[in-house]
Amino acid sequence: MVKILIKLSEELVAKPTTAEIILEHKVPINIITAHVTSKGGDYLVDIPDESLETVVTAFRKKGAMVTLPKLIEIDKDKCFNCGACVSICPVEAITVAEDKSVNFDQEKCVGSTCSACVEACPARAIKSVKQNNHELENNTH
Amino acid sequence: MKRLVESSGVEVAFREVDVVTTGTFGAMCSSGAIINVGHSDPPIKIEKAWINDVPICHPGAAVDLYIGATSMSERQRLEYGGGHVIEDLVSGKEVELKATAYGTDCYPRTQVKTRLTKDDLNQFYLLNFRNCYQRYNCAVNGSDETIYTYMGKLLPRLRNATFSGAGELNPLMNDPDYETIGIGTRIFLGGSQGYVISEGTQHDPQNSFGTIMVRGDAKQMSPEFLRGASFTGYGNTLYVGLGIPIPILNEGLAKKVAIRDEKIFTNVVDYSVPRKDRPKLAQVSYKELKSGAITVNDRKIKVSSLSSLKTARKIAGTLKSWIANGEFFLTSPVERLPVDSVFKSMRQTEGTPFVVSVMQKPVTCYADEDIRAIAERIVTRSVNHIIVVDEDEKLGGIVTSWDITRAMAEGKTALADIMTRRVVTAKPDEPLDAASRRMAQHNISALPVIDAKRKVLGIVTAEDVSKLLGR
Repeated sequence: MVKILIKLSEELVAKPTTAEIILEHKVPINIITAHVTSKGGDYLVDIPDESLETVVTAFRKKGAMVTLPKLIEIDKDKCFNCGACVSICPVEAITVAEDKSVNFDQEKCVGSTCSACVEACPARAIKSVKQNNHELENNTH
Repeated sequence: MKRLVESSGVEVAFREVDVVTTGTFGAMCSSGAIINVGHSDPPIKIEKAWINDVPICHPGAAVDLYIGATSMSERQRLEYGGGHVIEDLVSGKEVELKATAYGTDCYPRTQVKTRLTKDDLNQFYLLNFRNCYQRYNCAVNGSDETIYTYMGKLLPRLRNATFSGAGELNPLMNDPDYETIGIGTRIFLGGSQGYVISEGTQHDPQNSFGTIMVRGDAKQMSPEFLRGASFTGYGNTLYVGLGIPIPILNEGLAKKVAIRDEKIFTNVVDYSVPRKDRPKLAQVSYKELKSGAITVNDRKIKVSSLSSLKTARKIAGTLKSWIANGEFFLTSPVERLPVDSVFKSMRQTEGTPFVVSVMQKPVTCYADEDIRAIAERIVTRSVNHIIVVDEDEKLGGIVTSWDITRAMAEGKTALADIMTRRVVTAKPDEPLDAASRRMAQHNISALPVIDAKRKVLGIVTAEDVSKLLGR
């Protein structure tokens, strides 16, 4: 599965844009987070690797912006395993291991749509890092 | 040891175990370091000093300085502070010292700027006046907004909880009557050896909130056990690693060091209430705290630690190996620490203003009124804020003279279209400082004062606050 970030304009949220793409291309799109108002919105969605090209092309054709979300990264050298980030994480991507070290699961993390842990870290070991969008472009030419 | 007492009893454990090592690694704000930077030529009697832009105290004579862990960088503010300066020096990094002075006949110099490492310092001693809290509160936030505290980021409506302290591994928890920990006790401090020099400030042993004052040679310390930290929206601090060996001198001590997390309780405290005595919502054990979830009013809340249990264990383990290898010798205290001292509150000789003391009678309206009528009321009553209420006098919204002006310009007539419905409010018994801070945070100039049933009691305006508080 690949996580992509879709930004919809005011005009696009007024229409059933996502539903149309799902029906038209018969692709499973799993919405993980969504911030949508009448002025526009953004979704973080999970899509199967093989549908990546179809989905990205379809959204772009309708005028939506498609990017890879920023990823959360924990600098293990800076982290002193306090755990301040653990209770803040809404998706249980950060947990405390048996040996009391802080573990991070990139798969569960919803990245830049949340980022709640970044400012909760007293060691400033957590960063929201931009992904290289080239990969997305190369896959969808 | 704890397991041995449980399986074989106190007597056997007392016979078999000589020393129990303990450890903790947490944010300890009342920490800092004394440094002596040596004399410059011509000499300077430092009046003001900064290291890496962080203001440094000058408590002594010409070139004795104290780096407080919570002092903030003038440029980077919360992102870099005294704790970070100490960590950088301990790591061997070069720091920039700037100092100014008024100049005297014997110390004529008025400015100096130089770069220093710990090797250039005559003395570099960690001197922490309150460390190693025996236990601490568990913090939650009962309000509707995220708050940023020294207990970390607290999500609204009790959506998370934080705690601090090592529980059964805490040094003072294992010697609660201060039989072996006293003035002169040699300890693990910041990766090296240090000493207990006194009870800590705010030492409150009768309520299991004991503390100690410690000192150690920072030149020998390691950044693994001494880390600068930033709490978003709150400030800087220093994470300090501290461990104490407890010699098992008698059966009583063998029993005391067997203490378990399930027997150590602390209060769940609502940090959204900006008072000295905050509401206590529940009591929980360190066992529950370490399990990742606590229960408050039948609700499960995710809880996480602010101090590192992993490093606390490493400290206790390191201390154990030092003792086993003959690198660390236990000392008996030269004097006992007080066990009956009381932590007093500040004596306040002037009254504290509360919202009720400045609130005014509100000018109100109903949601179905015409904007023109409200505009007239603003003029005749000469106010800027009209509170919208329902028939029971309960808060429905607020409308300002600016809202009315804009409505007129846009040709709107219905109040319902322009009033603000999500209103930031105040309570009558709230300190005026807290209400004033909320106005500043939300960039607004008045707060309706409401009771628990949201009935409007009055209004407090920024103008009235500044008249009283002079800001």
